[in-house]
Amino acid sequence: MSEFLSQIVNALLLGCTYTLVAIGFSLFFGVLDVVVFCSGDIAIFGAFALMGAYMIIATTGLINLPLVVIILLLLVISCVLCAILGLLTYLFSIKPFEDAPPLMPLLSTIALGIVIREGVGLFFPKGRNPQPFPELIPLGSIGGNAAFSFRNIFILAVTVVILIFLFTFLKKTKMGISMQAIAQNRELAYMTGINLRSTVTFTFVLGGILLSIAGFLIGSYSGVLRFDAGSMYGIKGFSAAVVGGLRSIYGAIAGGMLLGFIEVFVSGWFPNGASYASAIAFVVVVIFMVVKPEGILGEKTVEKV
Amino acid sequence: MNEKTKANNPSVFMDYLKIILVNIIIFGLVSFVLKADYLVSLLSLVVIIAALLYLEKKGFISKIFSLFIRHKVVAFVSALILMCIVPFVLASNRYVVHIAVLACLYGVVALGLNFQMGSTDMTNFATAVFFGVGAYASGVTSMRLGINPWWGILIAVAAAVLVGLIIGVPTLRTKGYYLSLVTMALQLVFSMTIILFQFFGGPDGMAGLPGFEIFGFDLGMTHNLFGVKLPYQVNYLFLAMIVLILATYVAMRTNISRSGLALNNIAQDETAANCLGINVTRQKLLAFCLGSAFCGVAGAIYGQYMMFVGPDDFDFNKSLIFICMVILGGMDNPIGVLVGAFIITVINEKLRDFADYQMLFYGIILMTVLIARPKGLIPKRVRNYCEVFKLSVVKHEHIKEEA
Repeated sequence: MSEFLSQIVNALLLGCTYTLVAIGFSLFFGVLDVVVFCSGDIAIFGAFALMGAYMIIATTGLINLPLVVIILLLLVISCVLCAILGLLTYLFSIKPFEDAPPLMPLLSTIALGIVIREGVGLFFPKGRNPQPFPELIPLGSIGGNAAFSFRNIFILAVTVVILIFLFTFLKKTKMGISMQAIAQNRELAYMTGINLRSTVTFTFVLGGILLSIAGFLIGSYSGVLRFDAGSMYGIKGFSAAVVGGLRSIYGAIAGGMLLGFIEVFVSGWFPNGASYASAIAFVVVVIFMVVKPEGILGEKTVEKV
Repeated sequence: MNEKTKANNPSVFMDYLKIILVNIIIFGLVSFVLKADYLVSLLSLVVIIAALLYLEKKGFISKIFSLFIRHKVVAFVSALILMCIVPFVLASNRYVVHIAVLACLYGVVALGLNFQMGSTDMTNFATAVFFGVGAYASGVTSMRLGINPWWGILIAVAAAVLVGLIIGVPTLRTKGYYLSLVTMALQLVFSMTIILFQFFGGPDGMAGLPGFEIFGFDLGMTHNLFGVKLPYQVNYLFLAMIVLILATYVAMRTNISRSGLALNNIAQDETAANCLGINVTRQKLLAFCLGSAFCGVAGAIYGQYMMFVGPDDFDFNKSLIFICMVILGGMDNPIGVLVGAFIITVINEKLRDFADYQMLFYGIILMTVLIARPKGLIPKRVRNYCEVFKLSVVKHEHIKEEA
């Protein structure tokens, strides 16, 4: 029973990591109708930025500050860097292709993702090797049960906080409502006086910040990070977003959790399942694409001639 | 009117000379770039790219095309003669010949991808899967089943077309992003599952493929011809060039055929194509299967040439490289695609020493090409129905006068 429980917790956590990346995809797609394939790489970049900042801080005296302060400091550094990266993504990969067929920004974001990934691999000290993520969350667990370790609870709690923040932001703040408006009908939003340029720029900055926190959680969950983990997370996050429905945040949650559960349970129940857990997940994604392309919670778009 | 229907000997002769000169320049440059040391080679590639862009701006490229098409026989025969000479020029350096073989095989793959991406605007991230299926089929049939590799090519094509159908059918209902996602997912599924089966050699692949043999003439052995020592790569170069010529012929004929027109139509507006009576399903499947057949042939020859098939050669990065070739060279233009394949292959091989920076380089190239020149180096040719129309009108009026 307790093994089943730990598997469920594992699936939940994996689902959380996929959900956060999927939310990044949904956010970008909702605002601009572009799939930003480098989202996974931005998240991993954020994780590596955090690791780099940690290594620098470890050599100075700042390491003696309380843990909470260190975590916050590292997060702030990582968020700032990722926000800049998000902005650069918009400037180099999306903005030049505003009127171009959707193939162009797709390919250019893939190319940018490659550049980010390889940049991390080349310029981070010993970047090609898998890097251990710093143990920032205190070890230990509630009631001695490994399934309820502080790390797991932390990851789950942060995800929930982010989701609540996102929902409140999108529904209650002026900027959030502007983002929703642009997602629903761009021209009409423009006509009502919403500044498209600044809202879109803000979306990319916000997306960058979200993805950096996602990177932090991915690093804490995995323990060891490779520089090219971003490509896998990118594709899985995108699959999760598409399976759930590309424009809705609820869909991103549903898709992420579905993917996480499929992977963990295929690994657990089939002998030697870990080697083809991802493959099975992708096959499920393909089936979804063919049968229900708008996703679990998406709306069927009718193409008008 | 009469000038166009009569052969005007001096100007036709000048045309022939121009064609032969252009062919000599092309093959001379190809040989030079291949033989040169990596720095010189890359610099000359940059110069060539700049020259191509300049020529295209001045309109020379389309003039050269129409010249070649007007005098097809001379163009083809002169190119063929030069193609037979080039291997002897390159024969002194095995590695250079190896690059040439790879360039020809990747050119065939790029032509296959061009059907899907260039003509029909379906971004196919699973090209390496078709290539790999061809190679693995060739490997399995020659090593596990003991079948002659020549028949192995046919089996490889059949297998690749089958996989093309399997990948193509689910994509028929999807558009745009979803198509890309499905092909991406299938590429990853292929990469992940091929290493699980020991029948295909597992993660280490299959080594020791036998290579081809024609009537006792073993392509894997060094031979002597006209006093020049030809390493075995040259034999394969001839084979690859023959396949490339056939593939280019098929690609160019399909491009100007009704099917090619239908594919372009589907790319521009699928609903309109449907309304015009084009069987969209059939044309899309044709694009997929023809493309995968090309990749299958190239894969089969690749496997026997390298005498090894392994999963690392057919992963997502390889698919991206093929896409890079088509975009850089020029979408929907078979000759452009070949130019793109050549350039990328040369960069790939000449920069082997900097393998660490390879993918970074590709990312930067892809971004630069997309931002600066998404049409590619040699863009799609405008379909020229006017001349054909004019000529047929001329013929009819001529007949009417005589009647």
